Amino acid sequence: MSRASAIEKESVQISTIQDLTGVFESIASTQVAKVKNKVDLSGEFFQLLWDRYRSIRIDPASRITARALGDEKARKVYVIISAEAGLSGDIDLRLIETMMQNYDPKTTDIIVLGSHGANQLTQRGIHFERFFQVPETDKYINVDPVIEAVMPYSQIIVYYEEYISLGVQEIKSIDLISRMKTLGETDDSSEEIMTAEDTIFEPSLDEIADRMEMTMMTIALSQAILESNLAQAASRFNSMAVAKKRATELLTDYQLEFHRAKRSESDRRLREVMISIKKKKAHAKGIH
Amino acid sequence: MADKESVSNQMTVIARAPFHLYYEGPAESVTAVNKIGKFDILPGHADFFSMLDPGEVVIGTNTDQVVFTIHNGIITVRDNEVMLFVNM
Repeated sequence: MSRASAIEKESVQISTIQDLTGVFESIASTQVAKVKNKVDLSGEFFQLLWDRYRSIRIDPASRITARALGDEKARKVYVIISAEAGLSGDIDLRLIETMMQNYDPKTTDIIVLGSHGANQLTQRGIHFERFFQVPETDKYINVDPVIEAVMPYSQIIVYYEEYISLGVQEIKSIDLISRMKTLGETDDSSEEIMTAEDTIFEPSLDEIADRMEMTMMTIALSQAILESNLAQAASRFNSMAVAKKRATELLTDYQLEFHRAKRSESDRRLREVMISIKKKKAHAKGIH
Repeated sequence: MADKESVSNQMTVIARAPFHLYYEGPAESVTAVNKIGKFDILPGHADFFSMLDPGEVVIGTNTDQVVFTIHNGIITVRDNEVMLFVNM
């Protein structure tokens, strides 16, 4: 059995780990609440903008959402949204594995967001065309460079992590253009149409429609990034909760062992004292 | 009667960025900047869509003014309802 002082030292270290995992756990939990609020706000924004977009009538053939129809030979792109650093549980691994099930390098390029995903792809020897750091999400997500990089492709599939609940995160994929197209084709007879005859458009209907489409694509991508952030924070929270639980169990074990060692040490000292008293008594009897 | 007049002198305004709600409620005026220059939207304005230039947006309510700066945006006016989508 180890000495009580050694066990006590180790127990202090475990206690520090327990405290640290507790701090990480609460940071992750705060982040979940913060990002969830942003996801809700951005969803409301998208819906309002979408309602306004649907109320204007534009030639569908000339829209960004229709451009994929023309060129069947054009390459498609997978946009993978991963974490910027480690400590995100196993969710990025699942993301790459899901993407790999459909990936064909002959027809598809990969653009990766987040160092963690880029490292995972490199380890597997998978080439990616471009890498971007995950845009800052504290105030404003600037996805313009990513949008610029994906615009030449005929199809844009975004792989991201979706937050279902604190305990469940799923891998999702969306086709950015098809999604917009599908939404655009949704018939809503209750929506009153605004045309150039009864509405003032500045600078022009087409320019405004272009701008609205780009904005909605940007928001759709930003939402995928936010969803991923949320899922990563939840995954991190789960990892930290498991680590904290393990540290707490270990600490209990160590405390038990510490008390046993302490007891055993005091028993040994007591035995030594008793033996010493006995010896002294025997010695005293011998003298007399 | 006075109530009726004050209702007709107002419009509904929603001003928001993807992650921020600047204002939502009744207002008496909205001032913003587009390619042509500074313009005002008052109750009863014609239906209107415009891209906004960087600058200041001022929403005048009957008690106060809400002022914020934008770097881009779209304004839409429809049936006395003004929506500002900004800082996208």
